[in-house]
Amino acid sequence: MIPLANKEFTKGHIVVDHLRVSFGRNSSAVEAVSDVSIEVKPGEFVSIIGPSGCGKSTLLNVVAGFVQPVAGTATVDGKTTDKPGADRGMVFQQYSLFPWLTVRKNVEFGLKQQGMERSHREEAARTLLGLAGLLAFENHYPEQLSGGMKQRVGIVRALATSPQVLLMDEPFGALDAQTRVVMQQILTNMWQRFRISVLFITHDIDESIFLSDRVYVMTARPGLIKAEIPIPLPRPRTPEMATIPEYLAIKHKLRNLITEESLKAMGGELKDGGLGGFSIEVGPEGVSELV
Amino acid sequence: MITAPKSDFMPDFVTPESAAAKPRLTFTPAASAATAVLPGALRLQLQRITSWLRGALPGMTMTVFSLGLFIAFWYLATKYRWDIYVRFTNIPSPGDVLTNAAKLIHSDKFYNNMGMSLRRILIGFGIATVLGVTFGLLIGQYRLARGLLLPVFEVLRPIPAIAWVPMAIMLWPTNETSIVFITFLGSFFPILLNTIHGVHSVDPVLVRAARCLGTNELALLRQVILPASLPHIFTGLTIGMGVAWVSLIAAEMISGQFGIGYFTWEAYSLIQYADIAIGMIVIGMLGLACSGGIRLMGNIFMPWLTSQSNRGHK
Repeated sequence: MIPLANKEFTKGHIVVDHLRVSFGRNSSAVEAVSDVSIEVKPGEFVSIIGPSGCGKSTLLNVVAGFVQPVAGTATVDGKTTDKPGADRGMVFQQYSLFPWLTVRKNVEFGLKQQGMERSHREEAARTLLGLAGLLAFENHYPEQLSGGMKQRVGIVRALATSPQVLLMDEPFGALDAQTRVVMQQILTNMWQRFRISVLFITHDIDESIFLSDRVYVMTARPGLIKAEIPIPLPRPRTPEMATIPEYLAIKHKLRNLITEESLKAMGGELKDGGLGGFSIEVGPEGVSELV
Repeated sequence: MITAPKSDFMPDFVTPESAAAKPRLTFTPAASAATAVLPGALRLQLQRITSWLRGALPGMTMTVFSLGLFIAFWYLATKYRWDIYVRFTNIPSPGDVLTNAAKLIHSDKFYNNMGMSLRRILIGFGIATVLGVTFGLLIGQYRLARGLLLPVFEVLRPIPAIAWVPMAIMLWPTNETSIVFITFLGSFFPILLNTIHGVHSVDPVLVRAARCLGTNELALLRQVILPASLPHIFTGLTIGMGVAWVSLIAAEMISGQFGIGYFTWEAYSLIQYADIAIGMIVIGMLGLACSGGIRLMGNIFMPWLTSQSNRGHK
């Protein structure tokens, strides 16, 4: 039983409209997201990329239902995301598997909350784990798995309840470069198989290009959408594509946009630190390592 | 052969122990000379036993030596009735204790006393576990419960369970219930506080993950907060069991009619000094058995912790 396979492209429409989020009260309030509007069409893979502290995780948390906006709306299929729910699967940067449950029980967790009976959810969990190549580890505890495997189980667990959208908050940020490339491939495969909308947060330019249909670039302080870059590269995408001109052009554009933002953010910090009059005289290329 | 518990996803996984143990097994001159003619499997078996003995013997010898030294001191001190500010004049000798123990083994009354104490511990500690964990979860998770309950508990907590004895006797209809109450009080607070601490140290990302999977409030408490707090709860249970025994024995000595604490105190009153030592030893052994039981329960209820250390991953 694969509940999600061959789903039509009608569900999983994320609309964020003139969203504003601030933390703290009145005078000490800090605006994390100011006037952001984005859209993820059903079945689309969209990334948000930006320097750290630009409010991209906050934006995702609003869609997840963990953070309430002060103005504007976030909806999934027309429903306001005022509290978290199983219709929006989420994968976190930190490992978030329940350490006291085996791999299979972790995947079953959401189904159990829906009241599905044991034999059915066991079967569903085994099918999903099989698709992710994890069936051999169904009775392992999370602590016995490598980081990449933990995140794979995390994705499978989020998919188990047949959500309309998958929200991913830098899910591969803690993994090493090799594992990350493999995980991106696996995620693409699963996304194509399950036909689900994905909103993906990252600060890795290559990752955003490799995975997405579209990339939003976010600015820091205030958190605004600076640009929307379509990624017209054909699928299936391979790591070898990283050398073709189209890829390089997109990468160059994204890098310039982000480097500008990072510099702006850092310049602000330097001034705050009492280095008045000090300016960084490096071109965007020179500090590309920073992003 | 010692083989590392191999796992599929880490094929080149070799434990440092197995690598280090091999040369020691193979190049033991005494063992290999004596067993050279034996068939392979048997020889390996023998080598394993000798190497185990070599590893374990010093530890065992030291234990036996240490205990022997203590008993020798006890024997000499009581035989010569040392009186050097500490007085051993009335202290029973190891021999007296053994003789009396041999008699008590056939005494139903003695077993009744033991059973009585165990029963009080099980009831008192059991109620403390249920209430301590329940209140701990509620106080840890909900601000309302914390505001309503915690001040009362904080005021009562510094009062040692023993200080409750006179009040308990007035409070409860029978001596028996008041002793159980004292036992309960002793173990309740460590269990409560450790549960609260456990709830507070639950990784917030687990709670967020659970909410994203459609978990309601009750399910969150039962299926996430409780299991995530279990390691701390078991710390509380271990401490609580120790305090429960302290409180029980004191309560039995003060107001009891039965029980191993009462037996020990009565032995003093009846000038059966050897029985005092027997009472003490039995109390120690029962306490040890109870904390062993808790550890066993911990292994049963938290299999993810044991499987982790057994497989040696990290």
